Order: sequence, then structure tokens, then C-alpha cells
Amino acid sequence: MLFRKSWWKWGAGIAAAIALLAGCGGGGGDSAASANVPVAVPLSAQAALGEKIFNDVSLSASGRQACASCHSPDSAHSPANALAVQLGGALLDQQGRRQAPSVNYLSFNTAFFFDADDTPTGGFFWDGRAASLSEQAGEPFVNPFEMANTSVADVIDKLSRASYVAEFKTVFGADILSRPDDAMARVKLALAQYQKEDTEFRGFSSKYDEFLRGNLTLTDQEMRGLALFNNPTKGNCIGCHPSGKSADGAFPLFTDFTYDNLGVPRNPAIARNDDPSYYDLGLCERAELASRTDLCGAFKVPSLRNVAKRHVFFHNGRFTSLKDAITFYVQRDTNPEKWYPLNADGSVRKFDDLPVQYHANVNTVEVPYNRLLGDAPALSDAEVDDVIAFLQTLSDGYSH
Amino acid sequence: MRLIRHRSPPMKALLAASLALATSGVFAQTATEAELARRLDQLAAELANVKAQLTQLQQKQAQPAAAAPAAPSSTPVAAATPPVAAAPPAPPAYSGSLLGPGTVLTSYGELNYNRPTRANQNATADVRRFVLGYQHRFDEKTKVVTELEIEHAVSSADDPGEVEVEQAYVERQVTPVWALRAGLFLMPVGLLNENHEPTAFYGVERNFVETAIIPSTWREGGVQVIGNFDNGLMVQGGITTGFDLNKWDATSTEGRESPLASIHQELALARAHDLAVFGALNWRGVPGLLLGGSLFTGQATQAQTSEKSRVTLWDLHARWTPGRWDFSTVYSRGTISNTAALNAALVGNPTLIPASFDGFYVQGAYKLWSHEDYALSPFVRWEQFNTAKSFADLGPGLTPDAARAERVVTVGANFQVSQGIVLKADYQRFRENADLNRFNLGLGWSF
Repeated sequence: MLFRKSWWKWGAGIAAAIALLAGCGGGGGDSAASANVPVAVPLSAQAALGEKIFNDVSLSASGRQACASCHSPDSAHSPANALAVQLGGALLDQQGRRQAPSVNYLSFNTAFFFDADDTPTGGFFWDGRAASLSEQAGEPFVNPFEMANTSVADVIDKLSRASYVAEFKTVFGADILSRPDDAMARVKLALAQYQKEDTEFRGFSSKYDEFLRGNLTLTDQEMRGLALFNNPTKGNCIGCHPSGKSADGAFPLFTDFTYDNLGVPRNPAIARNDDPSYYDLGLCERAELASRTDLCGAFKVPSLRNVAKRHVFFHNGRFTSLKDAITFYVQRDTNPEKWYPLNADGSVRKFDDLPVQYHANVNTVEVPYNRLLGDAPALSDAEVDDVIAFLQTLSDGYSH
Repeated sequence: MRLIRHRSPPMKALLAASLALATSGVFAQTATEAELARRLDQLAAELANVKAQLTQLQQKQAQPAAAAPAAPSSTPVAAATPPVAAAPPAPPAYSGSLLGPGTVLTSYGELNYNRPTRANQNATADVRRFVLGYQHRFDEKTKVVTELEIEHAVSSADDPGEVEVEQAYVERQVTPVWALRAGLFLMPVGLLNENHEPTAFYGVERNFVETAIIPSTWREGGVQVIGNFDNGLMVQGGITTGFDLNKWDATSTEGRESPLASIHQELALARAHDLAVFGALNWRGVPGLLLGGSLFTGQATQAQTSEKSRVTLWDLHARWTPGRWDFSTVYSRGTISNTAALNAALVGNPTLIPASFDGFYVQGAYKLWSHEDYALSPFVRWEQFNTAKSFADLGPGLTPDAARAERVVTVGANFQVSQGIVLKADYQRFRENADLNRFNLGLGWSF
């Protein structure tokens, strides 16, 4: 007899052990269902101050403009009106240079850098000139077209009369206001901490987030829109606006924080554009990038989260509806006459918001703006509506 | 390799066959009965040699350490005086090279040249694999086996190579039949995965069924039980780490080239919430014939999402080596469950997770010519595989089409030089993707 009797004992014991241990695969599933839901914790002292400063209209020359005026909490911290550029200055009559972006989901952004492929990445503002949230927070205070304070000392002077100044001194020191530059640094720090800590700035509470958590299904139209959004031969929106979870489970931010040059048409609603020699050149306007003329006309890729809550689109607020913005993407080259003005001889003045020598910088190689005159657009009208239906699932604050 | 016990004559032939299969490369397995007997005598002589060396060493260690400091163990082969005077010069008792009384260095290397016939601007030459390993035997029952691999010659942030630990396990022979293995080990699936040295397979490149479907070289971390029975049956089973579906990249083509290779973890900070179980049966009861199969299954979403999904892979394989012939065949099929839910958020991307994938090949080789330690073996292999055989339904317009199965015919020859060196040449023809048709040359060694 080849098999000894004890073999059976061995076999049974091992089989039992395997069965027992293999069963230990499945517990603890609740954590996955609530993945990536930011847990609201009480704000730190600095962040609480930041919230007060963010909403304090007295810190402006006009006395009527706070960060929240242009970055309204009711509108995903972007403007609540449909102006191409916001009005600022002492009398709130000065047009800003560029549209006020949403400041949501910026805690995931980094300082500006060129990656291994020389792709410009990161940075705050449309041209990435600020290296951090706190650096960005300081500029509007002294921008003559925005909160229009004459100097840092002017800002701190107004701060000294704010209702929360005692709290400010408690947190940062009783003598802090006697050192305006230090006090301003702490104002910027407080604003940055508020934006990083308050989960309102990174809600991940949209219908799409619930879909990613497996808690609901999207409608047929929304699924079609998602498929068109992802398809590299149709919308190819994920080329700059990633829609998938990363391998480590992080939820998508719908921006890769890089830059693109779309050749957006010039916006006559901005008074500066009345001067034909004025151009907003984006990235290459920064002193350290002046030699990088290949980057002229490139602006930051914004996050598409809460895009349906916005009222104007692109850096110059040229479009006021999502339908126009997306149709521009797919018909810019197939039907340029719909988007750009005509010359006297009837030809289309394409890319009219860029000097001629920079027209070659415009992205004409990536789907969907790689079509030629007379081609069929990458998305049909109905498909654009499907994509819009999907984009509407990206608005935070969804409830069944 | 277990120590040989004295067996009755009818068992000798069986034992010789199984030992030959287990320890030698592909060409020694085409023995006739006469050759079997000759090899058996050779093995007996080697064993006697080893026993003599062992006795010598033990005597040396038993002697008090006198004036001479403890000398590092010199090559005992040269120092030994085996009692069996007629024994031929014995090759090392272990495959590999003795570094010390219980430590053996192992190595294999593959250098490949590929020339696509329709796109010869893409011709490449590559040190495909350079592998170093060691086996250290603590005592006659206990050993550790490790293997380190470098792919593509140069590994750095700017270079295409990779360095990886392919095997790192300990093994204990608990009874003459049963052994326990723990650590990072190769999965007993198919014919190639556990025997993947270039001297062990025909053709320059590993076959597609056992790279695209079975993700050779597939290794997992865990514990394994191995049973070797006298009737030629080998049983393996265990619990290991598994795959991680969160690694699936729907935007790249990796998952289309090999679904499991794109989600394997290789015990590199592997997520281990979901473990897997596997079993394998291999029967070598008749000399020259191997029949076997395996099954692997485990959850793979690793609690990173509320969805659950199970990856299962099974295979059936056979190898038959009558006379100068060498026939082999493998069928393998993999399935991933619940892919409709996993793919819902990925719709529109080029590479969604398939619900099933499979592959099949038949191969025949013939030792056409041999002289001393040269041998020429032409072969032909026909294989068909589909890495996206079916997709779960996602709704009209959203469900990807199943891929067309690729069919590859490979014709070539292996030319063996000495025990462990092989030169290879072959031509591969692809039915679906004819741009991949290529001519290949290869150099490999293994010891």
C-alpha cells in the first residue's frame, strides 16, 4: 500500500486550514463604500480666521469686496454672475483681466514645474505664477482691478478694524499688527489653511462621486456622455480632464493641472480688447517664461468638477453656456466662421485672440480639435448634449 | 532534490524517469531505455561521490581547529577521492555551481534579437533577462531558494530595464512525501511558469498562451504544500496573495496585451486584503509523459471599492516525449467576475476589463541531429489566444466588442551546446496583426 494512513490526516488538516484561511478574504467592506468622502472636522484656529478673512468685505478699497465676492460658496467658489470678468477697484467699476476661477480642489495642486516631458504643470492662477494657495491668496488684495488696496500696510490697517482682530492677535501674537509684512503673511496662511481644511472646497459629493462609490447608477444619457468623454476618438476630454480613479483609489479631479492653448476667440466684452494691439498671452507673460514663446496663449486646465454651476467659460469668459463651450471644441476647425470674426474679404480671422506669430502654438493635434475645414465634428449635436448631461453629474452637493 | 532511498528494481525506472524530468533540461528527457539505464548509473556514481565528499567534510569539521584558521570551504570536488574509481568525472550534484558546502549559485540568461519582417526599422536586440539566484541548503530537509532578475540590461529612471526578486522562499521536507514552502514562489501553472529557463522551452520568445494568458513569470507570496508520491503524482496547493484590479489602466493597451500581467502585484507592497487559493496536480507516472492541470482563484478588488470581483485562472497541460519527439500542449482560461460594475466608470476608454480570456497551443519538436554534446531540434508551434474573449454587457453602444483571437505559428529550431547553452532561431507569423510577423534569434544559458 503506497499511501500511509497518516496521509489522510495530513490532507484533511491542510484542506481545513486552507478553507479556513481562504474564508478570511471578505470582511470590512464598509470602508470602501464610503471611500473618499472627506470627513468634516472642526477648523483649526488659523483656518477659522481664514474663513472670516475670506468673507470680510471690509478688506477692500471699495469696502464691498471679499474673496467670497468672486469666489462665492453658492457657486462652487466661482463667480455667481455671468460677467466675462469680474469688476473690482475702489468703485467696483474696473474690469479684471481674466475670469475668476473656482478655487475648489486646489489643495491637490502643486507649484509650477516642467515635468520630464517638458510639459508645464502646476501653479496657481491661469498662468501658474503663484507657487501655493497662500501666495495666490495675497495677490487680489493689492490688485488694482480687484480689491485694490494700495499696499500691504493698507490691508493690515483695515484688518486692525475688523471684528475678529482680537482673535487674530490671539492666534498670531499681540504685536503682529505692528509688523504689516508678517501680518500679511499670516493672513495668506490663514486663507490657505481655510481652503485646505474646509471640506466645502473638496466635497467629492457629486452624483458622479456616488456612482464611483457604487451607490447609484447613472442614467443612459449620462452614461453615453461619460463614454464620449472618455473615448479617445470622440470627445477625448480625458486627455486633460481625467475621469477615472487612480490606482491608489484617489477620486478624479478632472484636471491634470497642465496647460493648453485652445485658440479661444477674443472676447469683445472685455474693454481692453478694444485695443487691437492688446493680447493676453498667458504663460509666456511671466518674466521667467518670456523666452518660451511656444507657451504664448497657453492657460491652465481647470477642473471640470462643478462646471455646470459656472456661468462663463475659458480664461476670457468668452462663452456663457456649456453647450457653446463644448460645441466650440468640436467645431472650432470644422466651422470656424461660427466662432471667429470675418475679415473684410470674407475670410475667417481664426485665433484672433493671439498675435499671428503664435497661431502655430494652438493645439491642433489632439482629438477633438484635430479636424479640418469641412470635416464632420468629433461630436454631433446630440452627443454634445450627452456630454453636458454627464458634466452635470459633477456638481457637488448631490442628494438622492 | 530529495536524497535517493534504496528502491526495488521495478521502481528504478520510474524513479529515474521522474528524476530526469525534474532535474535535467528539455533534451535529456528524450531517453530510450538504454539511455535511462546509463543515466541511472551516472546518477548512482554522482551520489556516491557526494556521499564521499560529505563524509570528508564532516570529518574535517569534527577535527579540532588546530593551527590553521578555519579555511573557507574549498571546492570539495577537487579534494575528494571517491571510492568508486570507475566513476566518470561527476558534474555538480546540484544544478548550479557550488559556492560552499550547502550553497549553490544558479543563473540563466536570455539575449534576443527580433526583426519584424514588415517593419524592420523596429529591429531590436536585448538582454531580455539576466538572472542570478542561490539555493542554500541548511540541512538535508531545509533549503532557501532565491532568484533575482534584471530585464533589458540597464535599469534606471531613464532606462527600460527592471530589477526584480522573482523567487524568495524557504522549503522544508516535512515527510518523504510532503514538503512545505513559504515565501515568494512560482505558481505551478502550465508548463512554462515553473520551468522558464531558456534551455527549457523551444523558440526565442516564450509562447503567448503562457505570457498573455498565464502571466509568466507569475509568482505570488504565500504558503504551499507539495506532495510527491511514488506513483508519479505531484500535488501542490496553497494560499497566496492575488491580483489587484484597481491597477487596471483603461487608457493604456497593457490590459489588452495581457490582462493578468497588467494587474499582478509581484509581492511589491502588494495589497493583501484579498488572498487567493490554488491547486495543481501533475502526473508523471509513465516515463516520458506528463499530464497536469491547475486552478487559481481569489478576490481582486482588495477592499478599495464597494464592488467585489473574483479572478480565476485554470489550465490543462500535457507533455509527451517518445523517442526523439517532444510534444506539448496547454489550454488556459481566465475569468473575472462582476466586470460590468467595474467597467461602468470606465466606459469609452480603449481597454475595459474583459470577462474572460483564454489560449491554447500545440507544439511538436524533433531531435533531428545530435553528436556528443550538440543537439539540433527543429520545432513548430501553433497557438491561438484571445485576451478579451468576452465583455460583460454594459448596455447598447457601451459594451466593447470582443477581440478577435490572435493566431500565431512559430517555426524554428533550438541548437543545444553542452548541457546548458542553447542557440535559437525562429520565424513567427501572426494572423490578426501581421505587422508583428518577425524573425528571431536567441542565445540562452542556464545552470
